[in-house]
Amino acid sequence: MTLPAVLDTRYPLETPEGIDLLLQPAGPIPRALAYLIDLCIRGLVMLAFSIVLIFFGRLGMGLWSILFFLLSWWYPVLFEVLWQGRTPGKHYLGLRVVHADGTPIGWSASLIRNLLRTVDMLPLVYCAGFISMLSNARFQRLGDLAANTLVTYQERALINTTHISVAPQQPPVALDLEEQLAILDYAERHQQLSEERRQELAELLCNSLQIPRAQAQTQLLGMASYLRGPQ
Amino acid sequence: MQLNNAQVVIRPRNPWEAADLGIHFARQHAGLLLGSMAILLSAWLGLLSIVLYDYPGIAGLIFWWCKPLYDRLPLLIVSRALFNAKPTLKQSLRELPQQLKAQWFASLTWRRFSPSRSFDLPVTQLEGLNGLPRKQRLQVLSLRNSQPASALTLVGFHLEAVLLIGLFGLLFMLLPPEVYANWDWRFGDWLDDESEAHWLDHLSNWVYALVLVVWEPIYVACGFTLYLNRRTELEAWDTELSFRRLTERLQRAAPLALMVFALLLPLSYSPSSQAAALCLPPSLNSTPKAERLLSQTLTSPAAQTSIQSILADKPFSNKRIEHELKWGEDQPKPKSKEERGTPWWLKYLIESWKHTSGIAYVAEVVLWLLVLTLLGWLLWHYRRWLGEFVGRLQNIQRPQRQRPSTLFGLELDSQSLPADIAGSALALWNSDPRQALSLLYRGLLVHLLDQHQVPIKSSHTENEVLGLLDQQQLPALYRYSQHVTQHWINLAYGHRLPADRVIQQLCQAWRTLEARQAGASSATPREAHA
Repeated sequence: MTLPAVLDTRYPLETPEGIDLLLQPAGPIPRALAYLIDLCIRGLVMLAFSIVLIFFGRLGMGLWSILFFLLSWWYPVLFEVLWQGRTPGKHYLGLRVVHADGTPIGWSASLIRNLLRTVDMLPLVYCAGFISMLSNARFQRLGDLAANTLVTYQERALINTTHISVAPQQPPVALDLEEQLAILDYAERHQQLSEERRQELAELLCNSLQIPRAQAQTQLLGMASYLRGPQ
Repeated sequence: MQLNNAQVVIRPRNPWEAADLGIHFARQHAGLLLGSMAILLSAWLGLLSIVLYDYPGIAGLIFWWCKPLYDRLPLLIVSRALFNAKPTLKQSLRELPQQLKAQWFASLTWRRFSPSRSFDLPVTQLEGLNGLPRKQRLQVLSLRNSQPASALTLVGFHLEAVLLIGLFGLLFMLLPPEVYANWDWRFGDWLDDESEAHWLDHLSNWVYALVLVVWEPIYVACGFTLYLNRRTELEAWDTELSFRRLTERLQRAAPLALMVFALLLPLSYSPSSQAAALCLPPSLNSTPKAERLLSQTLTSPAAQTSIQSILADKPFSNKRIEHELKWGEDQPKPKSKEERGTPWWLKYLIESWKHTSGIAYVAEVVLWLLVLTLLGWLLWHYRRWLGEFVGRLQNIQRPQRQRPSTLFGLELDSQSLPADIAGSALALWNSDPRQALSLLYRGLLVHLLDQHQVPIKSSHTENEVLGLLDQQQLPALYRYSQHVTQHWINLAYGHRLPADRVIQQLCQAWRTLEARQAGASSATPREAHA
């Protein structure tokens, strides 16, 4: 079955077994915000240390320089490698860095993508990085291209608390997987839809499933309950 | 609005992802979006720059202030392109004035600084709502969605600044240092419209316009996809799409099912069904060669061709053409496939395997090679040991038997003996018989030592010498020795002279012995000659 639409934010990754893994590369907006958060954290840490180190004179200045170096170059690398591709900012926005083939990021890739920030910053303030991200189909900045990495959205666990309180009812025709999912989806989003829209959607199936218009909603919910099975 | 025609995958998304979709969408239609924006903005800024040539700051401010109006052009294009009705450049520019008219004043005044500007615009422009309905509609739409829209504007604001600074930085980097060595870096001069530096202000206006040409369509597209995502969520657009597809499928399937049923009805009374009842093997009528199922839409040849075409296509057959560079001279002479594939030694092996018991032969060769290798290795490994001990063995001299120089007080030097022992003994016999007999006995001992290598030591007695001689298996010599020894002992220790006849016999016997000895020694070369 062909998909009716062509453009999607998912990037299919075919495994040797012929399974499509769907990665969701993240665009410049959440990434810029994540960077902003990381920048604030780094700034605050540097500020706190500066207040302490200012009392140590030239030794303090030396220590401050070392600390500045470590924070600027190793903060993202260490977080990404040791914390499943996340820095605190990325974690807050639900992002993580992975290799382009979906595997967890390692030392070399993380070092390359973070050292090449200097290139992305050219000519000033991440101009090259932004242009690269906007023109790349997977939102890779230059460092990502060099290290062959992606910034993707983390998968979130699906939490479904909707309860269908209608007696199960077998669908009158055999439904394929996508259609079953659509009916389940209808039941799960039933509460969020307006009354008119609920009826309108249910009536779409009246003719083909041979259900009376007045009972359309109830019967659809019953089918969803049947499809979901006992809970 | 036909959801079926949507050019993006419609599903509820995380708002950030929805904004990403806007970027993808803007990239897909980048040519039209950037082109139309470039025409619009350059025309408008050109007009402003000419009218307000002396006040470039004011021109820039007006240009910046009117941004919400420019947004309407990309939105027009994007909203049409979503449902596969992408306008041409001409069409979009022609329709623009009409779009600009709606609520332009509000857009430029109290809604100018709304952070969710891009998200609200579709409600204004596409749904055409105004006043209270618009407000209520926006409340519903932005119930849980205002944050990403504001973040979009915030990021957009910074991005404009980033691109602007970046472009200026780039321009500055390209300047040789001599140019700006004498520049006065006071900022006040730049804001002063009265100064001569109008060109710099105009330049910055145009650079800003360039930034807007790139960013504004993306910003608008992101706002539009956020709006789209919210409506998808609220109105379950994806569910509607699935339901429509389900209905379509069932409607398509219904007549087909009817037809199949009608076709099967007469078949149920045909002989084949009886065959099935008799449990005949299915191979009798499965996969017939003749074309069949001709009275339905999907006939068997059509199915076959479509199956073949699918099998010839991508996931089932993965053909690749690889090109590589080769020099003409290096091309090998055209050989037969076999010749090219196998080297000569492999062929030889295969041939020998075919005929004789080649495998055994090869195994034998291999085993011998193994043995030789092992031997070589052993020699090499024990080379020091060998060097040490084999060398010594060569140097070892045969233990030279100490030839006694005297026996029982008799000198045993062959030089001290005369050449003719028997003659000398006979000559000495009358004057000194003791000397004569000792001469004979010494002659015998020297003879035994030199000619027969009898291991005689200086500790041996006369009788022991006889015993040793007995082992030599020389009966004639032994008998003679017995006589000589007996008479010598009698004379030396007993002082009893033998008779004259005895000494003559002994001398005769000695001569016979010598002659036999000489004959034996001369016979050897003669035999060799023969």
